[in-house]
Amino acid sequence: MTTYRQCIAAGALSLLTLGATAQAAVAPESLVGPIADYKLYVLDNLDQFVSHTKAFTQAVEAGDLQEAQALYAPTRIYYERIEPIAELFADLDASIDAREDDYENGVDDPDFTGFHRLEYGLFHEQTTDGLKPFAERLMSDVNDLDSRVQDLTFPPSSVVGGAAALMEEVAATKVSGEEDRYSRTDLWDFQANVDGAKEIFELFKPLAAQEDQAFVSRVEQNFAAVDSTLADYRLDADDPQSGFESYDEVSDSDRRALTGPVTVLAEDLSTLRGLLGLD
Amino acid sequence: MSQATMPNQAPAASAPPPGLLRLGVALSGLTMLAGLATFALSLEHAGSTGGKATKAGTVVNVTASGCEPAQLEVPAGRRTFTVVNQSNRAVEWEIIDGVMVLAERENIAPGLRQPLTVDLAAGTYAITCGLLSNPHGELKVVASDNGAPPTPLSKTAFIGPLAEYRVYTTLELRKLQAGAKALAAAIDSGDLERAKAAYDAARRADMHLAMPIGLFSDLDQRLNARAEDFARRDQDPDFAGFHRLAIGLFDHGSTVDLAPIADQLVTDAAALKTRLDATAVPASQLADGTARVLGAWSDRQRGATVLTTQDLADLKALTEGAHKVVTLLSPLLASQSPETLTSLQSSLATLEQRLPSSAGAAEPPGDSPPAGAAPAVLLNPSVLLKETQALADSLADVNAALTQQG
Repeated sequence: MTTYRQCIAAGALSLLTLGATAQAAVAPESLVGPIADYKLYVLDNLDQFVSHTKAFTQAVEAGDLQEAQALYAPTRIYYERIEPIAELFADLDASIDAREDDYENGVDDPDFTGFHRLEYGLFHEQTTDGLKPFAERLMSDVNDLDSRVQDLTFPPSSVVGGAAALMEEVAATKVSGEEDRYSRTDLWDFQANVDGAKEIFELFKPLAAQEDQAFVSRVEQNFAAVDSTLADYRLDADDPQSGFESYDEVSDSDRRALTGPVTVLAEDLSTLRGLLGLD
Repeated sequence: MSQATMPNQAPAASAPPPGLLRLGVALSGLTMLAGLATFALSLEHAGSTGGKATKAGTVVNVTASGCEPAQLEVPAGRRTFTVVNQSNRAVEWEIIDGVMVLAERENIAPGLRQPLTVDLAAGTYAITCGLLSNPHGELKVVASDNGAPPTPLSKTAFIGPLAEYRVYTTLELRKLQAGAKALAAAIDSGDLERAKAAYDAARRADMHLAMPIGLFSDLDQRLNARAEDFARRDQDPDFAGFHRLAIGLFDHGSTVDLAPIADQLVTDAAALKTRLDATAVPASQLADGTARVLGAWSDRQRGATVLTTQDLADLKALTEGAHKVVTLLSPLLASQSPETLTSLQSSLATLEQRLPSSAGAAEPPGDSPPAGAAPAVLLNPSVLLKETQALADSLADVNAALTQQG
């Protein structure tokens, strides 16, 4: 009897995952693999984020201004790549990555912490004096984020919707150059957001292509356009580690050239959830 | 379900009875066809009772100093909010559950309004109101109709749990492969203590994976078969895998003759990876498969008068694997059948409390071993077996609770 009931339940469960073929071409269970792969990507980036943050905050605490300045941008990229997941934790997103404009009292607000508080000290004040508490807090927040993400069941719509969210973020705060206003390292974040969005797109591309090949081609072209403009500002074209020129160097015409494909990418990618049956 | 074991081909500890598995698959197929129409209809119905995304819904004004109104109350279900930015800077608006962002609308320019539609369960949430230094508002979501049956699970409800389970199996498989390689290396160099430690690590991952491994009876036999499953028992040339290694390392205290067995373990772990990469664990197996491996362990030990250190470590790792599955199914059970969730969590907690917190650290209740006996050997394990079976039974009820529709 129990066995029979279990079989009926198993049948009903396979309905939940397989039965949808009657309504949408993309079967829900086909999303399981890409979402799992995305979490593995996020976990790899978090590993890197933790170790880079350790080196960065140690440089701050040791009073090594030059080293701390040099490590600021290459540390942030791991956060910027995985932002669709990282920003699900509202408290940590605020303490790790909020900007001074998020607070009524700006840089003097006692709650203003994290990367941009350190950026203000390192690049505007040009000193590590008084930054030790912010460095310690950043390290503990990043460790906290790491353990929370490991335990998190990724919400499918946040993963698939994350590609558009990243490009919207680029459109809103990167093209304007307001993200890293003191360090002028915006292009590092810019590339990291684009890479994070591209990773999501690549994972779901085979499914999206079954639904709308024209959409896939358009998105690929726009990613290529953004990447090629960004590549012009690499310090060493053959070495991605070398990073980017200051955002001040980006010409007005290139800023305009980036706005087009970035905006279209944000709009196109916002349809990915619906395309994959997650709306 | 009786234990009809054949001496030559008895299933290993975690193997499902293959007949039952096939029957389940066949029945699933039939039920799927029969139930498809009904299921599609119930989804339609659930969709049309929700709010319409086209209307403004609840209007929230975000000013320079906060939300107006700062307290919102809506009935549970799909709700639309229209956020009007009346401050002089771009804002984002979020609904927060504890510390987690449940839904958000980013980058609303000054003077503009943006809609946000979200599925809300009953409860109290916080809403953000512009500047981080502004006070949060409160969103109260009240149950629409207390007598109403729960909305059937959406067809996408299992994607998240199954993806997270796939991440879990991938990470555990890495540990199994690393442990098997370390074990082979330690045995090669004749280092008994290092071999024992590597065995423990690899075996723990193997037990965490007992449910998915149980889907492949050939690999399950190669990795997990016991001496009594073979005609010539521990002298049988086909007897290999973890239990063969344990007899050498722990009973005989020697690495002699174990090298080919350890090499075979490395090969089988790699084969398992290939197999799991290509296989999707069905949603129904999360609960049913986990119930099966716990039940199989409990059946296997029934009548035993002692449990060895290895037996206890195996059960502890099986319980850890069950804990992961319970965590994944909890949010679904909470909406479909809270009473099933309560009883499942309680049987899991009971078993976890009974188990020693780490090998040799705390003696589990039961008769303490006499002075001079090896540590962490449990005499009279009947209570532990009963509680293991109780967790298996709770898990076996889960799928029916998830699919009952009113």
